[in-house]
Amino acid sequence: MLHCHYTTMNIPGNTSGTDVSVLERQQARMKWRQQQQQGLSNDDHCFRGLVEIKPDPGLQYGWPDFSDACQDQLIPPLVADHNLKKRKTHEDHKQKAVSKENGVKDKKIKRCSEENSTETSPKEKPKAVETQKQEYIHVRARRGQATDSHSLAERVRREKISERMKYLQDLVPGCNKITGKAGMLDEIINYVQSLQKQVEFLSMKLATLQPRLDFDIDSLIMKEMFEVPAIGYSSEVANSTYFQVNSLLEMGNSPIDTMLRRSIGGPVSIPETFVVSSCFNQMQPGVTWDGDLHNLYRMEIQQESTTIPFQHKFTGSYEGSNLKMEL
Amino acid sequence: MSPPQQPSSTNPNSLKIRLTHRFLHNLNNLNKKRSNLDNTQIHRRSHRVKLAAYASMARVVGSRRAWSRAILWKIRNRKVFTRNKRVDHKTTHHHHLARSIKRRTTNHSNHKREYVDPNGNSGQEVKLRKLVPGVETMDACGLLDETADYIKCLATQVEVMRNLVDLYSTI
Repeated sequence: MLHCHYTTMNIPGNTSGTDVSVLERQQARMKWRQQQQQGLSNDDHCFRGLVEIKPDPGLQYGWPDFSDACQDQLIPPLVADHNLKKRKTHEDHKQKAVSKENGVKDKKIKRCSEENSTETSPKEKPKAVETQKQEYIHVRARRGQATDSHSLAERVRREKISERMKYLQDLVPGCNKITGKAGMLDEIINYVQSLQKQVEFLSMKLATLQPRLDFDIDSLIMKEMFEVPAIGYSSEVANSTYFQVNSLLEMGNSPIDTMLRRSIGGPVSIPETFVVSSCFNQMQPGVTWDGDLHNLYRMEIQQESTTIPFQHKFTGSYEGSNLKMEL
Repeated sequence: MSPPQQPSSTNPNSLKIRLTHRFLHNLNNLNKKRSNLDNTQIHRRSHRVKLAAYASMARVVGSRRAWSRAILWKIRNRKVFTRNKRVDHKTTHHHHLARSIKRRTTNHSNHKREYVDPNGNSGQEVKLRKLVPGVETMDACGLLDETADYIKCLATQVEVMRNLVDLYSTI
């Protein structure tokens, strides 16, 4: 319906003599068709059949029927669009209307010729119409919109949102296969909720552990972290705690992570190196941590038991590092 | 040596370090302040630890982000309010948490997702606005921006806390 109105509006001076305009368009179209689709001789037959049919219902009023009839079909004019694309950069209003008609009518032609066996769905038809509109954008602003500035701004806004959604897709683990905005939002909401729940759970765990341990360890650790690491050698206790916290910060908390790092061949997480050099200069890239977190997140989702897996894994890596220290 | 408050905020390494420092600092303060609490009030302690976690998160990020500002503002107001209000907030928060957990396990009803607000927000966006603090009045673009930053910081905070728990559990 929309493009029908548009054709009637944008073709100057053709409102009165629609018979003539229709025939003119058809002739122009026939010329192009003969230029580009030479192999389809059947088309002309169908075409002429259409030529005969068209003036009868008319004119302006025939267009709505035509468009409605086209919507019943299941063939998007994508192939026709490719042919029409080349012409589009040099078209004026009338020719655009004609090409649009071509696009519309090509559907019928293909149907009667049955040459293109494309599997389609009715949903693709509005998409095809939209892609036609999108192809016009490099010529000038979109057609079929009320005011150009609004539609352009809307497109910019939509692109910004899709860009942010892509960034979020990288942040949230396991979202590579989900493409829709609604599905992505669901995943994001679930992830945020699960993170908040983890914070709550871990804070409860810390609260249970807190009264047992003295927080002087923390002050010691903080002091050691502020000072030069060579001083950490002086006191054994500080060294051990420093080493533990460093091992935690550096090695990550799962053997998967350490194995990843060994396979990468980067600086191996040997505790001595961390004690010698500053722990901040020898930070592993953050990607491995994220990967670790993603692994753990996936584990948690699959196994639905949060504490037990990574505790076991961590004790394994801790004992391993202990052995290294003894060596 | 790198000082704890480095200007680079996007580097996850420095973010993690800063979060660790700040969180330990807050926990230390917490322990010193509330030394009269004993093991029987784990509930309250866990709530305080959680507050310390969020506060450290917000402190590290500073006033750059809307969510950190909102958290800091909430915590500041929480201190101003009386203890009754804090208890109320705690209970409401637990109700909200229970509801959100239930919703997660039974989320097969799509009617919430397709519901559209009078403002044009979908049901999901409304949910997201409730989850991320400080994004109530933002447009969709800013909402996604804040959500991304919030997710990043939250994930780092979770990791720091997990490391600490492991550290403490094995000593």
